[in-house]
This record gives sequence, C-alpha cells and structure tokens, in this order.
Amino acid sequence: MKNILLFLLLCGTLLVTPALAQERRVTGRVTQADDDSGIPGATIQVKGTTRGAQSDAGGNYSILIPPQGNILVISFVGLAAQEIIIGNKSEINVALASDSRSLNEVVVTGYGTQQRRDMTGSSATIKAGEISNLPVQTFEQALQGRAPGVQVTQSSGKLGAGLQIRVRGAASISAGNEPLYVIDGIPITSQDVGTTTTEPYSPLADIDPNDIESIDILKDASASAIYGSRASNGVVLITTKKGKAGRTNVNIGYYTGFSNPTRLRKFLNRSQYVELFSEAAVNAGLVPAEEFDGNGIDINSKDDVLWSEQAFRRGTINQLNFNVNGGNDKTQFYLSGSANKQTGIIKANEFQRNNLLLNLSHTASDRLSFGAKFSVARTINDKTPDDNDFANPVQLNALPPLQPVIDPATGELNNRTLYYNALIEITDAYNRATTYRSFGNLNGTLRIAKGLNFRSEFGYDLLNQQEEIYRTRRTESGAPTGFGYQNQIRSLNWTSNNTVSYLNTFGDHAIDALAGITYQEQNIQDVNATGRGFPNDQFKKLASAARIVGGSSSETGFSLFSYIARINYRFRERYLLSLSGRVDGSSRFGASNRYGVFPAVSAGWLIHEEGFLKGNQTLSLLKLRASYGLTGNSEIGNFSSRGLYSAVFYADQAGIRPNQLPNPNLGWETSAQLDIGLEFGILRNRLNGQIDVYSKDTRDLLLNRPLPGVNGFTSIAQNVGSLRNRGIEFSFTSQNLVKAFRWSTNFNISLNRNTVTKLNGQPIEPGSRFLGRVAVGEPLGYFYGKKFLGADPQTGDAIYEGADGKSTSDYAAAVSTKVGDPNPKFIAGVTNSFSYKGIDLSFLFQGVFGNDLFNVAGYFQSVSGDYFDNQTVDQLNRWQKPGDITQVPQVRLYGANGSQPSSRWVQDGTFVRLKTVSLGYAIPASLLKKVYLQTARVYATGLNLLTFTNYTGYDPEVNTQYASVSNQAANVTLGHDFYTPPQQRTITFGINIGF
Amino acid sequence: MKKQLIYSLTAVCISLSACDNSLNLQPRQSIDAATALSNDQDVTSAIVGAYGQLGNGSLYGTDFLLVPDIYAPDNYVTWRGTFASYRELALKTQTNANAEAQRIWLASYAAINTVNNALASLNVVKDAITRKTLEGEARFIRGILFFELVRLYALPWTSGTQNLQPGIPLVLTPSTNVDQAATQIARSSVADTYKQVIDDLTKAVSLLPTDNSTRADKYTAQAFLARAYLQQENYAGALAAANAIIVSDVYRLNSSVTAVFRNRNTQESIFEIQQNDQNNAGASNDGLTTFYASIPTEAAPIGRGDVQVSNTFVGTYDPVDARRNELIYIGYKGGNRYYTGKYTNFGDNIPIIRLAEMYLIRAETNTRLNSKVGDSPGNDISLIRARAGVGPIATPTLAQILQERRFELAFEGHRLHDIKRFRQSVGTFAWNSPRLVLPIPKREVDVNPSLIQNEGY
Repeated sequence: MKNILLFLLLCGTLLVTPALAQERRVTGRVTQADDDSGIPGATIQVKGTTRGAQSDAGGNYSILIPPQGNILVISFVGLAAQEIIIGNKSEINVALASDSRSLNEVVVTGYGTQQRRDMTGSSATIKAGEISNLPVQTFEQALQGRAPGVQVTQSSGKLGAGLQIRVRGAASISAGNEPLYVIDGIPITSQDVGTTTTEPYSPLADIDPNDIESIDILKDASASAIYGSRASNGVVLITTKKGKAGRTNVNIGYYTGFSNPTRLRKFLNRSQYVELFSEAAVNAGLVPAEEFDGNGIDINSKDDVLWSEQAFRRGTINQLNFNVNGGNDKTQFYLSGSANKQTGIIKANEFQRNNLLLNLSHTASDRLSFGAKFSVARTINDKTPDDNDFANPVQLNALPPLQPVIDPATGELNNRTLYYNALIEITDAYNRATTYRSFGNLNGTLRIAKGLNFRSEFGYDLLNQQEEIYRTRRTESGAPTGFGYQNQIRSLNWTSNNTVSYLNTFGDHAIDALAGITYQEQNIQDVNATGRGFPNDQFKKLASAARIVGGSSSETGFSLFSYIARINYRFRERYLLSLSGRVDGSSRFGASNRYGVFPAVSAGWLIHEEGFLKGNQTLSLLKLRASYGLTGNSEIGNFSSRGLYSAVFYADQAGIRPNQLPNPNLGWETSAQLDIGLEFGILRNRLNGQIDVYSKDTRDLLLNRPLPGVNGFTSIAQNVGSLRNRGIEFSFTSQNLVKAFRWSTNFNISLNRNTVTKLNGQPIEPGSRFLGRVAVGEPLGYFYGKKFLGADPQTGDAIYEGADGKSTSDYAAAVSTKVGDPNPKFIAGVTNSFSYKGIDLSFLFQGVFGNDLFNVAGYFQSVSGDYFDNQTVDQLNRWQKPGDITQVPQVRLYGANGSQPSSRWVQDGTFVRLKTVSLGYAIPASLLKKVYLQTARVYATGLNLLTFTNYTGYDPEVNTQYASVSNQAANVTLGHDFYTPPQQRTITFGINIGF
Repeated sequence: MKKQLIYSLTAVCISLSACDNSLNLQPRQSIDAATALSNDQDVTSAIVGAYGQLGNGSLYGTDFLLVPDIYAPDNYVTWRGTFASYRELALKTQTNANAEAQRIWLASYAAINTVNNALASLNVVKDAITRKTLEGEARFIRGILFFELVRLYALPWTSGTQNLQPGIPLVLTPSTNVDQAATQIARSSVADTYKQVIDDLTKAVSLLPTDNSTRADKYTAQAFLARAYLQQENYAGALAAANAIIVSDVYRLNSSVTAVFRNRNTQESIFEIQQNDQNNAGASNDGLTTFYASIPTEAAPIGRGDVQVSNTFVGTYDPVDARRNELIYIGYKGGNRYYTGKYTNFGDNIPIIRLAEMYLIRAETNTRLNSKVGDSPGNDISLIRARAGVGPIATPTLAQILQERRFELAFEGHRLHDIKRFRQSVGTFAWNSPRLVLPIPKREVDVNPSLIQNEGY
C-alpha cells in the first residue's frame, strides 16, 4: 500500500498545473415553500467542490460555477436540502420545505463527509442553532439531553469543571472513558493537563461554542473504526464555522445574566445543634460542656451562623461576540471574536475567555484548493478548591453555628473554627489557571483526475497553561509566611493527515473511497516551583519567596502512526455497503504488541426506494442498516508497558525505587460492536425517527491485577477483563404545526445496560468511604455495601441487614450486598419549539431515570452526631426512646453509631430538569431596513430553571471528582456526592444583530 | 502555499521510513527497570531511595511513631481528629479495612522490595567498601522494617514460649517481573521473624562503617538491635548493645531536652529521618507535626491539633521538669488543652533513636539483671533527669526507670510496645489481646489466601 500511495502522491505533484477557467454564473432566489418568503443565509454549494455562496436578506444568490460542477446543493438549517442539476440554466429558483432531519443533509464523518441517506453507520448531529448563546463554559454542557445514546454529566457547578461523557455506556474500567475529540479533522487534547487540583477541568472550555457549526458524535463501529484504537468511547467531530461566498455579513451578539445555585441544603441552627450534640455527649457517657470545650466550641455562644450558605453568592455572566463572514467565488473567510466573563455561584470562582478565530478557504484553480484555520484563545479560571479539601467553601456547612464568622477578638475572619474557615481561603488565596490555546490547520486538496483527490493536512493544538496559587499567611496552607506556586505546562499535539479519495459513479454503481496515512504526536512538558517565606502578603511572586521549597520539571508524550482506509459502495441508489478500518501503531503499546488492526463493515437498504414503496406519501422513508466492527481504547497511560524505576527523595538526597513492573504484552482494549438501525419518515417526513439497537462487547480490558503487597507491588495492569454495553436508542422529530404558527417536537430516549462479564478473578472493591464496586454480572460501579436499616427501635443502635435476612446491630455480622446502581435505567430529552411571526420559544426537558446516588459527605453531616460537624436537619428525627421508629439511630458523640460504610446515604437520583428555555423575538426586516440592519433578535434564556427530584442533597446531577486520582477511581466511583457544589441556575438576556 | 503541499508530501515520505523510530518514545522521569541497577551509583541510589521510603508518612514519617501511641491512649493522649482510621485504633474498633493497617503494610514491603533489589544487584558494585556498606544498609532497613511489622501485626513476643504464633511474611528476594510479584508468601512464626530481624541487624552491625553521615552506621544498627533484644526480653543482649553504643563515645546527650527536636542530627541523635521543606511526610494530611501540633501563630495556626495530651499524663511530671515545661504547651485547639512540643515544624528531621534511650535501656537491663555494666542504673537515670532539671535518684527501682522512660520517650512511638513488654493493659485490653494487634490488610488476605488473618478481624 505504501508504494501505491507514494506513486499517487508523485502523480499528484506532477499534475499541479493551472487549468483554463471556464466558469459561468448562476443566479436565483431561495424561498420558504410554505409562504414563499425569501430565506436569508441559505447555503448554495457546488457539489463536489468547495465553491459555495450564501443568499442575502431577500433570499437572492449568485454563484460562479466551475467547469466540473453540474449540481447545486441548496440547504438551510431546518429545511430539506435540495440538489438541482444545473445543466444550461443560468437562473435557478428553489423553494425549500420543512424537514428537520433531511436525508440529503451532509454529515461530517471521519476524514470526510457523506450524505445522510448514504450513511450506514450511527451518528448524532447537533447543529449550531441548538448550542449557541447558551450560558455554558464548555460546549459539551449543551449536548445534554440532545443526542440519544450520549450521557453528559456535569460533575458540579464549578466553572469550567470537566464533564463526564459516555457514548453508549462506559466501555472501560481503568482506561479512559471519554470520547476522542476531533476539531476540523485534527484530534485535540481533551484531558486536563493542570496540576493544581485533582479534579479535572475541561480543556474544551477553550473553544467558543459560538464558533461551532456542527457537532457529530460517531457512535457505532462503522462510523468510528476509522479512528481505530481511540474510538471505543465514541468520537466527537467538531466542525467550526466557515465563510461563504456572497455579501459580507457582520453579526454582533451580546448577552448578560445571572445565576444562583439550583439548591441548598438545610443544617442545624444554634439551638438544634446544642440540643443534638449535648444529647449525643450524654448518650456517650460524656459531659457536654467538656466535649464542646475540648473541641474549641463555646456551648454558651450566642452566635447562630448559617455557615451552609456562606459559600454561595449570585453569579453573573456576560458575553460579547462578533463575526464577519463572506467572500467571493475564490476566497471565503470567517472571522470571529468573543469575550466571555462569568463569576460563579461559589465565592471567588471566576471564568473568563477571549477567542479569535479565522477560517479561510481559497480555490487556486479547478484542481487545487487550500484551507487554513487559525485560532487563539485565552482562558482564565479562578478555580474553587477540590471537593475533598478543607478549603472547599461547601465544606463550611460542617462548621458549628455557634462559631462566629468574624473572631470578635481580632475583628478578622475567625481562624479558630472547628475546621478550617474556608472564607479565609476565599479572601486570602487564589488558584488561577491561565491558558493560551491555539488550534491551527493548513490543508490543500489536489484534484488528480476526475473524482480522484489528494488531500494533505497539518494541524496542531498548542496548549500553554500557567497555573498560579498564592495563599497568604492567614490561610491554613499558607501559614506562617505565605505560599506561592507557579506552574507552566506546554502541550503540543500535532497531526499530519495525507489521504487520497476517489468518488465516482458508474451507472448503477457509486463508489466513495479513501486511503491514507496519519501521524500524531503529543508532547507535554511542565515546569513548576513552590515558594514559602514571603515578606508580607503583598508579595505574591516567587521572586520574593525566601525559600523555594519545591521545584520540578517533567515531560511525557505519545506517538501514533496509522494507516486508514474506507470504501463506501452504493448500488442502484438503494443498496449500501461500507468497509473501513485503521491500523494503529502506538508508543503506548508494549514492545511485543505494537500494532492494532480495527476493521468495520456495514450495509444499508433504502427500502423506500424500492418499487413497492416509491412515491408512498405515508411511509416516505424507510431505511434499514447494520454494522459490525472493532474499535480500540488506547487511553492506557503513556508508559504503562514499561518496567520503571522513579526517583524518591530523602531530604536533600535523591534515590530511586522500583515503581512499575514491566508488561511487554500490554495493549489496547478492544470493543466489538454490532448495531442495527431503522430510520423512518411518515407523511412526507413530517414525522421521522430512528431506532438503533446495539451491543458493544469490550474485551482485553486493562485491569490492575492485584498482587500481594509483600512482594513490593500492589498491582500490574493487564489486558484481561470484559464488559458489555447493550442498548436501544430511539429518537423522533415531529413537525406538529407547519403554517404560520410552527410547532415541532424532538424527542429522544436511550437505554443502556452495562454488565461486567469478566474480571481478574476477584471484584474491584470500593475504596474506604466509597461504595462503587466492579463485579462480574453487575454494572460498572454498582453500589455494594451493608444495607442500613435505620435505628433499632429498642436500643437506638444502627441496624443492618444480617446474613439471615434479619436485622443486626453488629456491623461486622451484617452482609455486604448490592445497595444501588449509579447507572441510569434510561435517559431522555424532549425539546418543543414554537414560532409565530418572529417570536420563537423553545424548551428542553432532560431526564435521568433509575440511578442511585451516594452522599459520601453523609459520614460527617448525617451521622447521628458522631463528631461535631454540623448535621443535616433530618438528623433531628433521631431515636430517643424505646419504641421510636426512625432511620436515624441514637445520637452518640464519637459513638460510631451507624458511621461505617453502608447504604445509609444512598438515595434515588432520578431527576427531570427544565434544562434550557429560550424565548426570542426577531425584529421584522421592514423595521430593520430603516436602521440599515439585516437581522436583529432579542432573547432570554434560562438554564436549569426547574428540577424535579427526590434526592435530598444539593443537586441530583452530581459526580464528585474526589476520587479522580486515577482513571479507574473516576470510572468506578460514579454517582458519589461529596460537598460538591450544586449546578447553576442561570437566566440571561441577549441580543444578536446582523449588518 | 504549494510549498506547503510539497512539505507535507515530504513529511509523508519521511514519516513512512521513520515511523517505527517515532513509536519508540522513552519515559523522561523514570528509567527502565532492566538497566536501573547497573553500577555503584545506581545501587547507592536504590539504598537512598529506601531511606526516602522510610520517611513516608506510612512508616517513620508518621505511623511507626503515632500508631503505637494513639493505639494505647488511656491516661496519655486523646484523639480529637477527623481521621477515622486513627480514631478506630484509639477506640479499638478497627476493622480489617483500617487505612493505617493497610498503608503501613504496603509501604513497608515496597521499601523491603527496594532493598531486596539492591541486595540482589550487589555484584555490580565494583568498590568493595561501598558494596559492604550498601549491603549493611539494606540489611539494616529490612531488619528494622521486619521488626516494626512483627510488633504491630503479630501477637507479642512471649518469653518462655516457642513463639510459634504467626509473625509476618519474610520476603528476602526482589520482584522484577509479574511472576515473582505474584508469589504468595505465608507468615513465618514470630520466633522466625525475630530470628531474621536479629540476623539482618547483626549482619548490618558487622558490615556498616562507624560513620555513615546521616545514613545508618554500625551504631544505628546496634541501637535497633538493642530495641529488638529488649522486646524479646533478652536483657543481656540489649544491655550489651546499648552499652557498646554509650561507651563508643560517639554520641553525647544534648544539654537541653528540646535540642534534639529543634535541630538536625544533634550529637545525641543516633538515627533521624531526614526531612526538609520540600521532602517531608506531609504538611496538611500527614506527618507528625500535622497531627500533634496545635501552635497558635499570628497567622493561621500550625498543625491540626488532632492528638491532645491528657491532663493526667501532664500531671504525672514533676512541675519543674523541663520535659513538661518546654515540650508540652497549651495549643490553639480546645480550651486549655495540652499538646506535645516534640513536632513543631513540617520540615524538621524526625528523631528515631537517640542516646537517651540507650541510657534508659542500660539502666533497665542492668536493674533487671542486677548488674552495673557500664555504669549504675542510678547514674544513667540521673543523667537523663539532670538534663530535665529534676533531681537524681541514686538507686532507682525498676518502676522508676520505666516511669522515666515514659517521661523521656513520650510521643516517640514506644507506648504500645512497652505496654506489651511490661504485660500491662490498654484500658480493658490485656497486653496480649488480639485487639492490640493490627489486622492483616483485607486486600492482602484477599489476594494471598496463604496469609492467616489475625484473630478478631
């Protein structure tokens, strides 16, 4: 294959000669089929070329047709695109009819594009209109509830925090479970490179959601196998906006708004606190005054502080953005810029982003065209401490209401509280990550012969992050002389793609083929220093630190060399066949297992094109498709296959120690996925939908085989486990009303069942305070522990379910069993959109059903007064005398009455949420003309306005990153809540103006 | 822009031939295990690495000192912290999942594997003196770790019995591949474990030089040997070892009781865990200063004040005793609560064995054996007392010597081991109660069924 490809490349180079231009102009008007009104901004594309134009405010367009062009594709969001043969016509008028899910829609696929009707794989597309102008930091947040089979969980209300995205369930136990992100053909860095928190932040927050034209999520093997060893978790293709030939459009948008926590929790007030803990001390045979005093709490204090609300404030959000786009027949451009600033609902949490993007395309001749993209972003994130950090402001809810915020003795923030007073951290410390991010892409396409194109592309993702922490001497970890930390990280991720594609039709046969070579390399370097001993709190840079107490540099990376190939074949416009595959060689794989092969095959049948259905208006679309293939997961760590020694320090001497056993056989995880899909359209596609059934069997799961610690190692990663995800996805779109008053409904529901089918002998047990376990026959991270049964009515002891099924107060005698499942039974989203004479209203309800949550903070805050942490008000309902029937055992200070791991803090996490509401008004063009405007729309948007749930914690959409010290912990510790800030409820008002 | 195309074509051609090379990335912060130990310097690094492991909070950085004290808290200390693992030990409610029991075990054996690797690679060490020293240090580290483990995870040594109760697994060879690392090793008896401890330490004494800077030397090994013999009630052995160190005249008592805790490697110090600002056991969730200190400052207080010294214990000191007045203070946490002043700065060294203990051992063993090897118990005890500003005792009773030991070595990790040695009890738990023995970590028993779990877990 190498030789053939080289030959083609050489041929291609020789053929680079300008051809004679024989271009001609076609003009026309694009209108709405329902009311004949002109459609502004419709796309007119010459099929098979990059030549495109856009209609003006009246729907008129003009385009130069290159000599090889003979079909025009006219499209507009929400309407059915049309293909029209140009022939000798010089004027082509088109009326587009409603069709939100057009068969002719062009869909972005791996290393190419394809018409929806020809697709034999399963993917979901989200368009710009659905995600722009939402008050989110990162675009993944806007995917929630919109794509079947894609579960998006925002871990907390921290600005810019990482999200958990699962495409068709979790396919890995210990390797990464996040999809591969590809922006304009270039895989990008999507994992946090930061060092100042163990909780991940999303590097995708550097992308302005307003610059995104479309997001395509590749779900089955047929769609994703071309990404080989990185496709098991799905692939997210992001396409940025490009310019179109025609008039130059200038758009300006602005929105502003505010946000509040979705929910807060109630804790004991002063008198309740004194009552409960005095009782707890007495019950434990202790003297209340002595124990209060011993812990530094003044039992006679007159203070009654609502510590649980001290962490929060009203957040704000403002965004200003502009874009200019347009061009002529040869050169098109899209230029945009934006400034976004948010203050979070957690005090001191702020996020700021500035973006610039330039997309250029140029047609040099009918043989040669170029594209270039360049973007820069600066993101500044003032981070909130990790959930499991005493400086986490949400942990303030643990402080006794008797302790004042301000120490009356000093007049400053009280630093004699039971736990660290995190308000000091808010005023006296910051943890700021400043990221400069640039995405670049240069590509050239050369037409070697009719239908045969060579494309060469180079792209990079350069991420430079500066992290800075400063804590004054008044903070816990900055005492006694201040603490400063600086870190510089540079991640360069570059890719070169070289592909040859061939597209042609021979009578009944149509072929679309692709072959190529790609190489990707990532290199991450990091250098940091830590200082203490600052002259005073005004000096914050390390230059002023008397002692540099830490300094380090490190480097890591991987390389990936791959061959790709795909052939799509269509026979008689209705029988489809596709073969695709990739061979990946990765530096991450063990020496004896360096190359992996990932093939896929799929077929489709457009039944409605058959004679017996053709022209049927009732059943206007019926398509059956099936695919099978292998994909991989190479998120196994960069050097996991090597036997390693690393440095270990003994004061000022450095030594070494063995820290990893060698494993030359280490390889990728493999998923074999079968997908069967049926797409249908009824009543000229006014109602259309699709249903997909899949089974994804993942094997060679990387598992830490536990080893006896006495030999020096606790585990070795081996490719041994298996798990299975099976599911059904169903979605439909209905144009309920299509006249002047329009109403459409978009509904999706998906169900995924995850089952671990093979492990390394024994289950993976939950860590100390957690319940998430992995065992054969059970879903990943199911809750396993002792079943808590409340208080013994006679004694007030905590009781658990014993081996005989009866209750026991002997914790050790209770049996561990399945006590919950954090995986939802199904997830769903429903969007209703209305429009009438320029007014539009859209709302999205999103639901997650049948999952359980575990509040890890319950060990401290809902634990029968075990220690002096303030308790949730439900603890007042404690056992007090024989005969009391309650879920809250007798309060006993230090008494460990029900404080051990159990189902005591497991709750149903089902919720339905009014995720987004958007109400807009487009000011009529007749009014705008007077002020020389093309378009103007004012709108209001609400995010997370309503939440319906029985969960009593802060917010049911929660996934503490407390445990994210390793991939495995993050994958297994699902649905855990630990002093995790709730989500934001945001309302914004905005305006978009087009000139 | 055409050039760009040509460049990328060239890049394709180059990458085709270079692809296999480009997949051979090497780790930059770690080195390949196959070549890690190939000369004098490498093996020395491994030994230094093992000391670094000893300084971890799981071992001498925190737990080898804190656990024996917090485990026997009656009339001594009170745990008022949030960490359940220590609270369980204080209350004796620990289970087989106790986090301290797990981390001590795993960190100890990881360090033992480091020194076993070094021992197996001694043949690459060209310099004979270096080789001898490195072997001595490896033996020393392994010996003291086995000693600490057997005291915590096995029923106590009981003189007059065969001591066949389960001790700990004696791992004497390195693991360099998965097959070795998966070997299931059973617990040896307490008798065999002590035999190995004595063997390792005795060899270390003979191999190590008399001065090895801040790393272990001959006397360090001998001091631990004295401790091990004492625990075995081999008073003659302990006496000989302690006396040898005292008469070597290498060490001197400091003039103040605080000096050994405020300065690095003082004349009194026989072995210290070296720490500095950057490399220490921890400053927020681990480390002795974190748990013991409760020091008010103008800024945020230092330490979490989790371990309060009980008023009864403070009251047993003579009111003029410097160890009471200079090493115990009222902390910021709680009203008028006492805290130990032995650990006050996160980056300070941690004294592990010091000369005062050798005097105390000599005095105790001389008294028990009714001898006066080196000097009389009265003189030895009075030396220690004089420094603390309290009067001499000419002919101390055994009880007085043991009381002096408690005063002098408080919060240095002796309490539980001494109680077992003296056959006293911890609250209602007798010296040989299985509740006073840590569980073999659950994960270890799960993965290595040949390990017998301790009673009651």
